Amino acid sequence: MKNYTLLPFNFTRLLGKEVLVNELGDMLITPIGTANKIVEHSINNEELYKSLVANFFISEELLPSLLDIYASRLRLKKSFLDDRTALHIFVLTLRCNQNCIYCQASSREEGSKHCSMTYKMMEQSVHLMFRSHSPSLTMEFQGGEPSLEPTLIKYGIELAEEINQKECRDISYVLCTNCRNLTDDLLELCKRYHVLISTSLDGPSYIHNKNRGREDSYEKTIAGIQKARMILGDEAVSALMTTSELALDYPKEIVDEYVQDGFTDIFLRALNPYGLASENENWEYYNERFVAFYKAALDYIIYLNKQGTFFREVYASIILRKMLTPYTTGFVDLQSPAGTVNSVLIYNYDGYVYASDESRMLAENGDYTFRLGKISDKYEDIVYGEKVRNMGKIWANEALAGCSDCPVKAYCGADPVRHHSTQGDMYGFRPSSFVCKKNKAIIEYLISLLIERGDEVMPIFRSWLR
Amino acid sequence: MILQIDRNIYSDSCISKVVYWLSDQYTIERRMEGCNEILQIEGVADEHSFKNLFFEKLNDFKLRGIIENETKDIRTILYAKAFGDFDDITEEVITE
Repeated sequence: MKNYTLLPFNFTRLLGKEVLVNELGDMLITPIGTANKIVEHSINNEELYKSLVANFFISEELLPSLLDIYASRLRLKKSFLDDRTALHIFVLTLRCNQNCIYCQASSREEGSKHCSMTYKMMEQSVHLMFRSHSPSLTMEFQGGEPSLEPTLIKYGIELAEEINQKECRDISYVLCTNCRNLTDDLLELCKRYHVLISTSLDGPSYIHNKNRGREDSYEKTIAGIQKARMILGDEAVSALMTTSELALDYPKEIVDEYVQDGFTDIFLRALNPYGLASENENWEYYNERFVAFYKAALDYIIYLNKQGTFFREVYASIILRKMLTPYTTGFVDLQSPAGTVNSVLIYNYDGYVYASDESRMLAENGDYTFRLGKISDKYEDIVYGEKVRNMGKIWANEALAGCSDCPVKAYCGADPVRHHSTQGDMYGFRPSSFVCKKNKAIIEYLISLLIERGDEVMPIFRSWLR
Repeated sequence: MILQIDRNIYSDSCISKVVYWLSDQYTIERRMEGCNEILQIEGVADEHSFKNLFFEKLNDFKLRGIIENETKDIRTILYAKAFGDFDDITEEVITE
């Protein structure tokens, strides 16, 4: 019987193996029954024993001599909390020049009035952004279609640049646009201030045009991407896709479209239950089909990589970074404590600050639960106010029923906004939570790939993390 | 379907966690009879499979519970070391 102390860990079983995960998210794939043997002090495999010691699953001393390193690594895993909010989303307008069938932002007609941010609001929002302690600030312009408000973008960026003369923060700018309205003037502004373009491309024309409600949408988007690349460079343009119900049948075709268009990654994003998308009648069925779609697309992406084409799936990369490296990510949907407020704040066209992008989408349906205050309010009243304090009680998965004893919680996050919108309760009920089911299915699939095809996929996964 | 579980073997917390995870699909009524907990479960189609599933989860949560109990102190120390700002705590602050 070996003499050692247990360190915190959890376990799950997949494909005839027992997967052990410690407090840092380090993972060991072991034979079934290992967790029980650890508890009974009956590990007789010397190599496994050494591995358990080296990876902080057990300690040969009462207090591990490497406790400081253990604590430093835990701190590193939560380092996204150190600097507070880095991502600041400015929703300039609800006006839009497309008619997306799943629009989550409740966009309005291009000519609509009274649904754009004023210059005064922009000024107050930029000042609020600088109240965040983060040394890095990302100013992201969203809509509607933000390129319909080019002078507001220019005003916001120039004001931020002016303030930053004294503040000396590392500022980056992102314009989320459908690329239909990328004028020479706007691209010139983007070039001057190194604004990154994030566009939406749902796949081949027959998917993209159907989703976007315009017959020329695909052509316009591709033309816009090419124009932006020509002026700003290839690296300055990225694209996101949203998996509509139509898209679920075309995983391979969507990936091929991205490769053909010169992208080196894709973010396979599920629909979120906001705006028009919330009218989806059967989320359970959609969720199951999305997971199947995701697996098929990921398998195809792995196949392409094996053939020599570097191509990355972003969601998998975020999870793999948590799984295979000591580091964390800035991705707000998979953070604990949750990314809402901690990593992102929204300055909305309506003059209010919201806790997340999804929060302002809920507001369009009359749900103001996550409206934190006015843009003109004091920063402290917004981010330390009662609403945020209440969210703080339920935004860490380490303290939530169903999450706290989940073996893969280190790779997941808490999402009070999503649970509020889908279950009517910020706390959430994990057994029927679509967020939980989707994340767990994807995380377990990645672990399964490591178990079944480790030699084949590990070099590919590592290349995605460089 | 009725399941009888010896509370000397499986704790309330352990049973509660299994019930939590199954409660979206089944209605489960719990009551004590001496040292045993009686669970009356509605909505079970295949009793044999359900029993296997239930006890597999029960054993897993029992094992997790043992690990949690044995490691709770080290976890507290770990989190205090990772996130506590001890450098700012002086003797004066403590005695105030």
